[in-house]
Formats: sequence, C-alpha cells, structure tokens
Amino acid sequence: MTRPPISALLAQRKVICCVGSGGVGKTTTSAALALRFAVEGKKTLVLTIDPARRLANSLGLSALGNRETRIGDELFRAAGLKPHGEMYAMMLDLKLTWDELVDRQAPSPEKARQIKENRLYQTLSTVMAGSLEYMAMEKVYELWRTGRFDVVVLDTPPTANALDFLHAADRIVDVLDNDALRMLLGPLLKASRVGLRLFALPTGIILKTLGRFTGQDFLRDLAQFLVAFEGMYEGFKERAGEVKHMLSSRDAAFVLVTSPNPLTIEEALFFHRALASDGVQTAAVVVNRVQRDPHRFGGPDSVPALREALQLAQIKDGGDPLLSQRLARTLAEQSTLADLDRREVERLERMLSGVPLYKVPRLRKDVHDLAGLWQIDQCLSAMQE
Amino acid sequence: MAKEALDVTPPALLDRRLLVVTGKGGTGKSTVSAALALAASRKRKRVLICEVTARERVSELFGRPPSGPQIHKLFEDVYSVHVRPPEAMREYGIMVLRSETLYNLVFERRWVRYFLNAAPSLAEIVMLGKVAWHAGREMEHGRPRWDLVVLDAPATGHGLTFLSVPEVFLSIVKEGPLARDMKFMDSMLKDPQQARTCIVTLPEEMPANEAIEMHRALAQRGFPQGVLFLNGVFTPRFAPEERVQVARGGPLLAAAADAADSHEARADLSRHYTSVLRSEVKLPLVSVPYVFERTFGIRAIEQIASAIEAAL
Repeated sequence: MTRPPISALLAQRKVICCVGSGGVGKTTTSAALALRFAVEGKKTLVLTIDPARRLANSLGLSALGNRETRIGDELFRAAGLKPHGEMYAMMLDLKLTWDELVDRQAPSPEKARQIKENRLYQTLSTVMAGSLEYMAMEKVYELWRTGRFDVVVLDTPPTANALDFLHAADRIVDVLDNDALRMLLGPLLKASRVGLRLFALPTGIILKTLGRFTGQDFLRDLAQFLVAFEGMYEGFKERAGEVKHMLSSRDAAFVLVTSPNPLTIEEALFFHRALASDGVQTAAVVVNRVQRDPHRFGGPDSVPALREALQLAQIKDGGDPLLSQRLARTLAEQSTLADLDRREVERLERMLSGVPLYKVPRLRKDVHDLAGLWQIDQCLSAMQE
Repeated sequence: MAKEALDVTPPALLDRRLLVVTGKGGTGKSTVSAALALAASRKRKRVLICEVTARERVSELFGRPPSGPQIHKLFEDVYSVHVRPPEAMREYGIMVLRSETLYNLVFERRWVRYFLNAAPSLAEIVMLGKVAWHAGREMEHGRPRWDLVVLDAPATGHGLTFLSVPEVFLSIVKEGPLARDMKFMDSMLKDPQQARTCIVTLPEEMPANEAIEMHRALAQRGFPQGVLFLNGVFTPRFAPEERVQVARGGPLLAAAADAADSHEARADLSRHYTSVLRSEVKLPLVSVPYVFERTFGIRAIEQIASAIEAAL
C-alpha cells in the first residue's frame, strides 16, 4: 500500500497525540516524530507523562525534570544529524500542573492556598482517575495556545480506556461542579458551621450510611474541598471546553501506536472505535516491532537441504544438536514469529481500512539515543514499507 | 530495604497467602500470574487469581470463558475472579451495612452513585478490600478457602499507586470500616510472611529500567518482594564462528543466516539485561524462556509454570 511519509501526512498539524496501550513503543514513536520535524526545521516539543521516565531513557537524558529541556547539539552530532530546527523534551509533573491550574483559576492567592492545603486535593492531584489524562491535555493546550512550538507531540499515558482520555476534562468538571454531589454534602457543610443537626435532614440518613462506609472525616474533607472550589467551576468548564475544541480542530491529529501482539492490536482497535465515536479521526497507525520473515531471503529450510547447503559452502555441520538442525529450528521459529505478526498486521489493516499504516521492524538493538530514533523515523518516512 | 526480601528462598514463595504480580504493560503479567497459580496448584494448593485491570485475560489463557465478577474454576485447583469496582462496591457495601435493602436504598441513588464515582480512589479501595478479604478472611469448612491468592496488579506506574492506596487512604481517614480494612490490607501487603510482590519484565531496555525503578520504589515503601521474572528469554544457539561462516555461505544460506542473526540479537539482549537486572535488583531472578506458541493457551502456561517450578 502506498502512503506518504508520516511527516508529510502530519505536516500541517500542531498537536500530535500518540495513543496506545502500555509497552508498544509510544514514547519512542512520539520522540521519533518530534525529532523528524526538528530536523526538517521546526521547533518541536515532545511531552511525556510516564512516571517511569521512559522518554528520559529514550533520549539518553538522565532526567528531564518538569521543564522544557532542549536536546543538545552534541546529541544530534553523535547521531550524525544536523537539525534545521530545535527539539525540546518535557516530562509532565502531575502535581505541579494541578497547582498551576489552581493558581490560575483561583480568585485570590489565599483561596489557592486553601485548596492546595486540603488533604483531599493533595491526594486528588496524584491519585484521581482521569486526572493524569486531563492534566496532560491541559498542558498541551497551554503549550499550543502560547504558540511557542511549531509542533507538540504528546506521549499519552497508557490508559486502559480511551474514553478516559477523551472525556477526562468532562469528568473532572463533572466531579467539581456537580449539583447532586453538593446537594448531598450540603447538610454536612451547614452542619459544620451551624452545629450537628445534619441527620435530621432527609439526606441525613444517606450521609450517615455513607459515613459508616467511608468514615465521617472523608465526607467532611470532600465537602470542604467542594466549598473551596466554589466559584471556580466556570473557569474550569471554559478551559475544558477549549481543550476539547483544540483536540477536534484541524490542528490536532491522533496517531495510534501498537505492536503486533494480538492483545495490543485489540486495544488499538478499541481506541480507534472510541476516537471515532467522538468524531475524532485516526490520522495514522504505527505498528512497532514487526518481526521480519527470514524467507525474504532465499535458501532452503529443511534439515537435509540445509545440510547440503552447508556442505556446498564447505561449512562443517557440527555441534550438538547439529548446526543444520539448529538452523532449521531457528528458521522455523523466526518465521513463526514473522507469520504471527503478519497476520495481526493484516487484520489491523482490514479493520482500519483507509488509515495509513506504518510498520517499524523489530530492531536488533534497543532504541536509546537519537540515532535509534532516526532509524525508526526512516521506517515512518519511507514511501512504502 | 526489608532484609526478608533478600533472603527469600524461592520455594517459600508459593507458601505465602498473597502474591502480587506487577510490571510494565505488555511484559506478560497475566501469563506469569496464571503460571504461578498453576505451579502452586501442582503443589496441591487451592489458588484464586484476582484480576483488577479493565480487561480480563487470565481465563482466556486457560481457554475458559471470562469469569466476570463471580469466582469460576479455570483448572484443577485454579480459580479466577475479575474484580471490578461496581460489584466490589456492592459486595463490600452489603458486607459493611449487613443489609442489602439498606444498600439498595442508599447506594443505588443517583446522587450517591455520583459521590462514589467522584471520591478519589474509592474504586481501588473497594477492589483491594475484596482481594484482602479473599486472601486473609474468606473461610470454608473452618479453614481459609484459598491457600494462595495471586493478584494480577495494574502496570508499574499505576501498580505502585494501586498498592499505596491503603496508606494514602489511611492518611486521610482514621475511622470507619473502610479504614479498618485498609489497615488490614496495608499490614498484609507489608508482611513478608504473608505477602510478596513480584515484578515481571522483559529483556528490553525500557521494561528493564522500569523493573529496576519499581524494585527500588517498592523497597522504599516497605513492600516485601518475591522474585523478579524475566520473561521471553532467548538463549544463545550459535558459536560466533558458526555465524560468520553461515553469513558468508552464499544465497543458499541467506535466510538461515538472517534467522540466526535475529535469534542471536535477541539472545544478546537477554544476556545483557540478565546481567543488568542481576546487579541492580536484589531479588532471585527467574528466567522464563520465550514461548513459541501460535495461540497463547494452556500449553504455553504449562511451559512457563514448568520453567518457574524448575527455578524455584
């Protein structure tokens, strides 16, 4: 199948989100894209979220911190590359992004301090489901809005659920600005001011029962947290709306990243459907670590024929098991791997008909520097597989 | 780091009440969980595998339909359950309130559902609560129903958050049944006699680095560890001079030379990461050979269980 080099396909995009399950090479794909555009002359940033510092690893940096870090010229030189643009990398600090958001949205520094000191906020910002995804989007939006970079490539967190990722903004607003929740906790708030008459109210029974379940402190903390956020919902909502708008605009593109493993292919298809149901198109799909078939080269694969070939080449058929036997076994195994991968990639291609697909073969060495990323880029930039 | 984590002799591993299996996504956590369960069942133990991630995988590996929220038998003495937040919440709520009616009356209300969805990490809390109950409290005929519970935990980053949920919760909430259960879970997870966390990794750079980081983070937070599983290991098969000869052997040996190269490249990676992991992770390392199976079913699990048994 012919398709353009991925950099041509995505040339007009300013925000590229690489989506896929964990362990499929999302980070290396993201970094390879940012590298490509930097070499072509753009100012690029790759943003990663993973707590395990994958990107730091793949860029050969010891740590990225929470700041935009410029990839030094010496790293490019070491890879034999001459960039016409610049490449930056950044590791998202979840807690710090939340704090920045609160600082920006809070009506006064005093209010911001109150929120940040709430114990629930402190766990919310690290534990709450969906907050990772939302904060990533928030940061991307911020970067996109300032226009300081030509392209921002986001290495999304490995969520099991694509909807989490797309609806994170909605969900956070939903949690913070929820009439039902405030109605439920309302009595508790009043009670904490007026006295402990809360259980006389109709919602009292419910609160009491919930309290038996979670403990009363928990409910009180939640109530205080919501009070602290009072008046900030509008700002959050507006912001979430803008993030959504950015993601569905022509500036943004979603790239599905997967490996030929049947389970990750299934997840990729799930992501694709989830994106589609939100009206978001998958711009491209990248399949990493595809095993290449040794039979793309010639030669026999049975033991007797290999024996003969060895004899012809005047190679001693020694060892235990014999060299010919080991070669035959290895050929069979490697070809099994290639065959499994081929079938999975074909299945993906059928299911995603029309979406440009890029195969990256399993490389003989791990990718941990720009040279390795560039090698990946060469597969993504090839006109044909 | 806990001293006990260092002197674990592998045979004792399967004698714990709870084994937590974690690792980077795609390293084969579910496969290792299934193989551990199978290995324990061969020692006449009755095992329950608890899956807590969004998609159920273990039952499929045994060629069985998904277990869902009910416990199902997968194999002789191997059972599994998919622990999901809504059902765990319900079971847990009813257990605490001792009344299904009261639960329905209160917890099935729309507002309350909102609250439950909004409360940070409540989902993880009830899931862990359920696992703790199976591992520590579920009785049958006057003895624990399960000899061993294997928890197929979320991937590394989330896995650590998941295991830390009891501690975080306890820093906020000191009273109530949930706090009591979280205390129980926290002390169980941190008791080397009862529980061990095992890490699964691959002979590749990123998974290996994550395993090293996970190992350190677990040690720092006081979670006793079991063994490190290195999955998908290739062993060298050709002498260097054989490879040189075959590579020069002309067109008739071209495919064979390529296959041998691919194999040895992966064997090199296996060897390299085995030595990196041995020096960085102070845990017994169990190498699990790469399994060439077209469909990853019970035969593959049996092969891996045998590799684990041989190493233990």
